Amino acid sequence: MKRAPVAITGIGCLSAAGMTLKENMASLFSGARHVAPPKRFSGSHPVSYPVFEMSEDPVPTRKSKDNISRTCGLGLAATIEALTDAGLEAEGMAGVKVGVCMGTTVGSAMNNEEFYRNYRNDLHPDMAIIERFLNGNPASVIAREFSLSGPCQTIVNACSSGTDAIGIGASWIRSGRCDIVIAGGADELCRVTYNGFISLMISDDSACRPFDRNRKGLNLGEGAAVLILESDNFIRKRNKTARAFVLGYGSACDGYHLTAPHPDGKGLKKALADALLESGKTGKDIAFVNTHGTATRDNDRTEVKVLREMLPNAPFLSTKGYTGHTLGAAGAIEAAFTVACLESGMIPANAGFAEPDPELGASPVTGIANIQKKIAISESLAFGGDNAALALGMERE
Amino acid sequence: MGIYITGIGVVGGFGCGVTELLACLENGATPVKELPASRSHGSAYGPAFLADTSYLETFVPKKSLRRIDHFSQMAILGAYLALQDAGMPSLTGQRTGLVVCSGYGAANTTFSFLDSIIDNGDVCASPTLFSNSVHNAAAGHISILMELDGPCLTVSQFEMSVSSGLISACLWLEEGRVDQVLFGAVDEYCNVLGYCWRRFFGEGNNGIMTPLSPDRQSAIPGEGAAFFLLSRDKAGSSRYASVRDVRMGRLDDNGISCPEDAILILGADGHSRCDEPYINFISQGTEAACYSPLYGSLPIGQAFDMAIAALSIKKGRIFASPGAVARQDSINIIKEDHLIGSKSICCLKLGKEGEFGMATLSPK
Repeated sequence: MKRAPVAITGIGCLSAAGMTLKENMASLFSGARHVAPPKRFSGSHPVSYPVFEMSEDPVPTRKSKDNISRTCGLGLAATIEALTDAGLEAEGMAGVKVGVCMGTTVGSAMNNEEFYRNYRNDLHPDMAIIERFLNGNPASVIAREFSLSGPCQTIVNACSSGTDAIGIGASWIRSGRCDIVIAGGADELCRVTYNGFISLMISDDSACRPFDRNRKGLNLGEGAAVLILESDNFIRKRNKTARAFVLGYGSACDGYHLTAPHPDGKGLKKALADALLESGKTGKDIAFVNTHGTATRDNDRTEVKVLREMLPNAPFLSTKGYTGHTLGAAGAIEAAFTVACLESGMIPANAGFAEPDPELGASPVTGIANIQKKIAISESLAFGGDNAALALGMERE
Repeated sequence: MGIYITGIGVVGGFGCGVTELLACLENGATPVKELPASRSHGSAYGPAFLADTSYLETFVPKKSLRRIDHFSQMAILGAYLALQDAGMPSLTGQRTGLVVCSGYGAANTTFSFLDSIIDNGDVCASPTLFSNSVHNAAAGHISILMELDGPCLTVSQFEMSVSSGLISACLWLEEGRVDQVLFGAVDEYCNVLGYCWRRFFGEGNNGIMTPLSPDRQSAIPGEGAAFFLLSRDKAGSSRYASVRDVRMGRLDDNGISCPEDAILILGADGHSRCDEPYINFISQGTEAACYSPLYGSLPIGQAFDMAIAALSIKKGRIFASPGAVARQDSINIIKEDHLIGSKSICCLKLGKEGEFGMATLSPK
């Protein structure tokens, strides 16, 4: 069923590609890729698996100086940029129903290695680490920073968390539960997760190559993005205009495997179909698809199979060649990029792609391309078999 | 639009299934257990309310459970028990959503994964442990075993996880995204958690939880899962209760308004710092119960309170709070079973920083 569009009035985004959305988009269109061996931690693997690490730390806020995680710092920085973009200040949100819906993976994991090593060795570990974890729920930190009183939700749907957070935030607006929702995702690079992905043999020891014939896997990244979702009434009250709209959202699980997508993309098809249905649009209206495109063999095969079947004429790309796979933040970062591309009327090249894969039967965009249509899809696949898709558009109808 | 609870599945220190929970409610006590040494590296903290998942083999062949950890097994068992309680409706072809809430996720597996790195080096990190350590592993296993293909959500909001996840579950039903939702919550005990308790709160107590005593730290760790089959279909409404309202917010804003003459179930669980706001907030003479001494202290305790509220509404009576719940002059603690007619029951969880989550169940 078609649902009412939900306005996006502000966007914030930071990743290895830049500290603001504007910087990120400049990187994407210049083709810059900031990928290198990790600097904040080391490993004992025989080869070094590169990552997309941010060159700067997020600037701490007045309240957040006390003991919050890097993930929360990233989430706060994206929120501040997004609120500024939307023309909203903390005072303007007093007494307003403001919800926070954030996706993460690392940000909710109690897996601090330093603490655990000391615990195992009876070395009286520093409990400040645990306090930081307990104070560091990404959605709660944002709510606390701005003294917000609406619903608060940290989504841990693995790699689709950021996409789901935006889709669920849009539902909160439509239902009248909130006037504003701060929706997005945040995740930091973490040695434990880094080792986890290497153990699954889905990490590339060079820069990732989404959809390329010789792709070997993903590179992890870090970052955050936040979209400010706002009710029509509240926008009118503020005399503002929307930057873009969430037109549709779909979510469906594969029920197939914990770490591999369904070979036929069963859940992704359903999520995509639901997002289109909610938007009231069809495949011919879609300007492009910002794919999950992790560069793992299975993910890219499944995604292309589904896109060839459902959106055969829509150009597609992965932006993970610019940011790495930012896990719980990825869906939000890619939604931010999708809106920025629609605004600019251009999409960047799929970084890392060089040789078509005959098994896939389709290739991503290889250079900067102009787009005419005003609606695009941003989609995510995740461990646990979760799939999520957003239909984002420049116009209400 | 009404949202109805048509099935409940619970597993915890009190036992397995609504019948055993009901028995503990009527007895007013749950025995605590000594911790097994096998629960992650390190020594145990003291007594705890631990869950036994052996009944899961009734639903799932043992060989299919080999690689599924205790955390996910509790969730799977809770989910199957909820379906069994609802009469085992077929989920195939139905528009069924899945929402799982957890405060800490698969804690034991998370630390076991770290063990694999520390003991054997980075190159020997265990892929099986890694994939089972992600927060949505339990939801993934449930969706695979039950062949679900609807929307799926895992929420981690510490003590507010249940209210937060329930908001989204209800919205999915209200907006017609699904026809039913398997909604549940799960958390597990691990020795690292016990160690943290010892460092924060001192040695374990004598095995008696006395919530609502702000001068005494009496919390005992608990673990378990509580699942609900939620439906828009009124035909199943007679099974339990309807979810009338779910809210989250901050006490320092406009406070919380409960329905007139509603009964409160307080999520106080023996943490002295966290219990104090209940005493300060509850209006003079408010009728309230507290059942945490039956299931222990864990982030998703509110889900057990929801199960107890639904059972109370079905039975038409509120159960006495366990004897150890402290009496407070300002709160009319329910100490004896009595009939409640058509009253609503509000399950209230307060956070340590002034946040609250409240789920209100009613007979209609």
